[in-house]
Amino acid sequence: MKHLIPEFDALRARFPATFASSLVLPCVRRIQEDRGFVADSDIDELAGYLGVPRVQIEEVLSYYTMFRRKPIGRWHLQMCRNISCSMRGSERLLAHLETSLGIAAGQTTADGRFTLSTVECLGSCGTAPVLVVNETYHENMDTARIDALLKGLD
Amino acid sequence: MPEIFINGQAVQADDNQTVMQAALAHGFFIPYFCWHPHLSVHGNCRICTVEVEGDGGGWLDIACNMPVAKGMRILTDSDKVRARRKQTMQFITLNHPVDCGICDKAGECTLQDYHVAYNGSPSTSRDPKVQSTKFFPLSQRIILDNERCILCTRCVRFTREVSKSNALGVRNRGDHSLIRPTEDRSFDADEYSDNVIDLCPVGALLSRRFHYKARVWYLKPTPSVCPGCERGCSIDLWHRRPEWKLSALDARQNNRIDRVTPRENPAVNGPWMCNKGRDLAATFERARADQPLLKGRPVDSTAAIANARQLIGDARHPVALVSSWGSNEELASFKQALGGRFECFVKADVAAAPGETLADAILIRPDKNPNTAGARALFGAAPPRFAADTDLVLVWGEGTNFGDLPPRAKVIFLNAWLQPENGHADVFFPISVQTERAGHYTNFEGVESAFAPCFAKADTVADAEALFAALAVGPESGA
Amino acid sequence: MPGRQLLMSFPVTATSHALADYRARGGYATLEKALASMTPQQITAEVTASGLLGHGGAAFAVGRKWSVIRLNDGQPHYLCANADEGEPGTFKDRWILENAPHLLIESMLIASYALQVRNAFVYIRGEFDLPFRRIQGAVDEAYAAGLLGERVLGRDFACDIIVYRGAGSYVCGEASGLITSIEGKRGYPRNRPPRLTVRGLYQRPTVINNVESLANITGIVRDGAEAFRKVGTAKSPGTQLISISGHIAKPGVYEVEYGYPFAKFIHEDCGGVLGGRKLKTIIPGGISTKVLTAAEIEPLKLDHASLAAAGSSMGSGGMIVIAEGTCMVRLLQVLLRFYHHESCGQCTPCREGMGWMHRIIDRIVGGEGRPEDIERLYEISHANDGTTICGMGDAAGYATVGILNKFRDEFEYFIEHKRSRLGGNLEVLPNA
Repeated sequence: MKHLIPEFDALRARFPATFASSLVLPCVRRIQEDRGFVADSDIDELAGYLGVPRVQIEEVLSYYTMFRRKPIGRWHLQMCRNISCSMRGSERLLAHLETSLGIAAGQTTADGRFTLSTVECLGSCGTAPVLVVNETYHENMDTARIDALLKGLD
Repeated sequence: MPEIFINGQAVQADDNQTVMQAALAHGFFIPYFCWHPHLSVHGNCRICTVEVEGDGGGWLDIACNMPVAKGMRILTDSDKVRARRKQTMQFITLNHPVDCGICDKAGECTLQDYHVAYNGSPSTSRDPKVQSTKFFPLSQRIILDNERCILCTRCVRFTREVSKSNALGVRNRGDHSLIRPTEDRSFDADEYSDNVIDLCPVGALLSRRFHYKARVWYLKPTPSVCPGCERGCSIDLWHRRPEWKLSALDARQNNRIDRVTPRENPAVNGPWMCNKGRDLAATFERARADQPLLKGRPVDSTAAIANARQLIGDARHPVALVSSWGSNEELASFKQALGGRFECFVKADVAAAPGETLADAILIRPDKNPNTAGARALFGAAPPRFAADTDLVLVWGEGTNFGDLPPRAKVIFLNAWLQPENGHADVFFPISVQTERAGHYTNFEGVESAFAPCFAKADTVADAEALFAALAVGPESGA
Repeated sequence: MPGRQLLMSFPVTATSHALADYRARGGYATLEKALASMTPQQITAEVTASGLLGHGGAAFAVGRKWSVIRLNDGQPHYLCANADEGEPGTFKDRWILENAPHLLIESMLIASYALQVRNAFVYIRGEFDLPFRRIQGAVDEAYAAGLLGERVLGRDFACDIIVYRGAGSYVCGEASGLITSIEGKRGYPRNRPPRLTVRGLYQRPTVINNVESLANITGIVRDGAEAFRKVGTAKSPGTQLISISGHIAKPGVYEVEYGYPFAKFIHEDCGGVLGGRKLKTIIPGGISTKVLTAAEIEPLKLDHASLAAAGSSMGSGGMIVIAEGTCMVRLLQVLLRFYHHESCGQCTPCREGMGWMHRIIDRIVGGEGRPEDIERLYEISHANDGTTICGMGDAAGYATVGILNKFRDEFEYFIEHKRSRLGGNLEVLPNA
């Protein structure tokens, strides 16, 4: 985490002085972008840097669904299965993804390329079904578009 | 001072009170799990719901977070309230195993009491209960049963607001939430951690020391004072009730301190105590001296007293090292019987153990003796010293290295424990311990607290208060 | 077009979200006018007079919320735009963030001036990617142009906006959950009292408004409350962005003038049900609002009073159209799985109730349903009504009761025959 401290200093300067605790979420997110996950050492270092109790960071990491403590595949495929996406075929597309990748939701392919997850509503109901790959939304998906998308991911 | 009405009765509440506080202060009981008078309000258990009467039939809300307002009309036991409580208890017990038969908390469990008082029905769920972690090692001292936990977060709040260790938190969310210690295991270092066992309203947090040791209804709490430091926290010593005395099983169980809990005392310790006090049994259950000795030779107490009187009578310059573990009653007896005969100094019976916390901002104090203040009030604060002509030393209590005493002086020694020095004294008296007698200690702030006996002392063990009177030697006999 | 337009009143192009285009449309002139010629009190009075209702779901009057803030009380005040759009079926704020971010910023600046706010926040859900880049980009542009910072428009008015990203939690869209999240903690909602306008972010007075509610401020201050009230109905002035999805021919975000006929909106503006199917039912305002059948919507107008009279609500404007042939048991399963997944676990009825309902519905769908399950779902729903710290338990109950009331026969069939009467279908293919 240490190499991110100049960035964190800049971020901190934008918040009111009494808001150190507020930096937990943005800093954790930045650490995860950088490393791919949040390592145990990051927790200690961030707690020390922000002056917040370690327990706060541990609690936050386990509460928010986007944070993770372990590395995942290079491409994180997140299939929404909430109401509007289900009504437009996401259950079928999820089964298609599971067959294509040979893994079940929640698993990572043996070569470490893909991790497949299900997620609840992503606010993309009008362009359902939506598949998020890492941070990018791919909307109005169907099996053909999924096949084409997977081909383009190394 | 707004006037409110609880179940139709007018009550004068304080301006900043909640309905919960006002009700309890005036003798109206409202049930609660997560609320605690010494912790912040979280309002998560929802069992304290009461009805506020109003236009259109009133509404329900939780009493712990409801500020009083002038003229407010509260019902604590209406049909609506009872129905809501029953629903809430259905939720509380939905995934709770209700395994009271094997739970240490049974008999003093809030959930058990409320289940009987406010629910009384079997679960309406026919689905299997959600399973969770059993016997999770929360710390070296505490076991957590996540199936019994109702996530009231009292323990978490305690570590944030009282012990300040910040060592507990809630992991995950929803009904997968788990109380967990921080991964650096800092809860092991929280010297107040055992308070969460008492705080837990269910059987989720269990003392390893007490685990499966006793059913609480066989135990009796005797009010006492923790001798672990000069704070003198008010405590309860739990031991087997005399009426449930065991005759067939191990008889030692009848004279054992099964657990120690704090007894709320706003003037001294509030509702808390430190972990050291929880381990008092180890102090009191050391091997005991029960035989008077003359230079290591067993004698009866009459002979020991006669010899001691002789030494006292003969001495030209007797010095006494007075125990800081003596009760005020014993100290007064000593002062009256022997104070004029001896040059008296107060000694520290116990010094801080290596690595022991000397002091903190919560309860722990640097002097590890309970009654230094009481002893100094009678005998002054000067440190012990021996004039060249000292020819008799009376040592009361443990903690003195006999090598430090004047080499030619005779020694009278009063001690409760079986220790090598006992045999080196010219006269040795075994004396009773705190758990065998009543008395008072005065803490460092001058607050006097009483303790009562848990067990009878052995016949051969002396009661110091009586012994001092028996040792009194008049001025004529010493002349 | 379903009535007059207040927010979507410009053509969306590749650059319409940018500062230059926004200024060309007259952007930031209203801020200039407000700072130059209006007092904070006048602005709040104008907003109150406009009758603007909150667009996040609860429809609480914005002016009333603002009026709680005591000016010059010697403590900092905070403003948060709630962009944690997470109610399934709702994606309207995303339209504003992506296409009119400067409208939000200008409105937040006017609100900050009115409420004496030095630090304002946009709390945006963590998954949003383009909406985040657009609003963050607009904030950066605004700083560069002197519209944010120490001297806004060169005047003696300082205001900062921080775009704060969530990290995946539905309850953080609830105002107090949002606040604990900005404090860098688990997004646990808080008990009221105190109200957040009295003790909110870091225990200071805080106003939290939905993105769309705030976006209306600029127009109200620019054209006056009277002009605003001429749009919509007397009790629901203005417009509502409705995001429509599900089995609908033309899903998307529409700006609908309050009072517009419901059925006309569905069948004409949105092209009717997907694949020419018949309409079975509609979730009118996000999944937490009670479903309305095809017959029920016929006489309805799209405004708060009209939907309330029909036993439902406009909610967050997240409309979900459900075609004939959809299995309501499976649909409720999806909803209850979601509520179970998102319950924060803080208070008893929701923590235990959500899992319980989810297990019951899973069992029914698994062919293991029991006749008493339906009553049990009702009981759990009722036991969550008004009993929890935030509104999530209530919401799950409303959704459940709404579906059970109208489609009980499907549940009874599923339990008795251990299978769906409708093949368990959620998806309705357009060519079917």
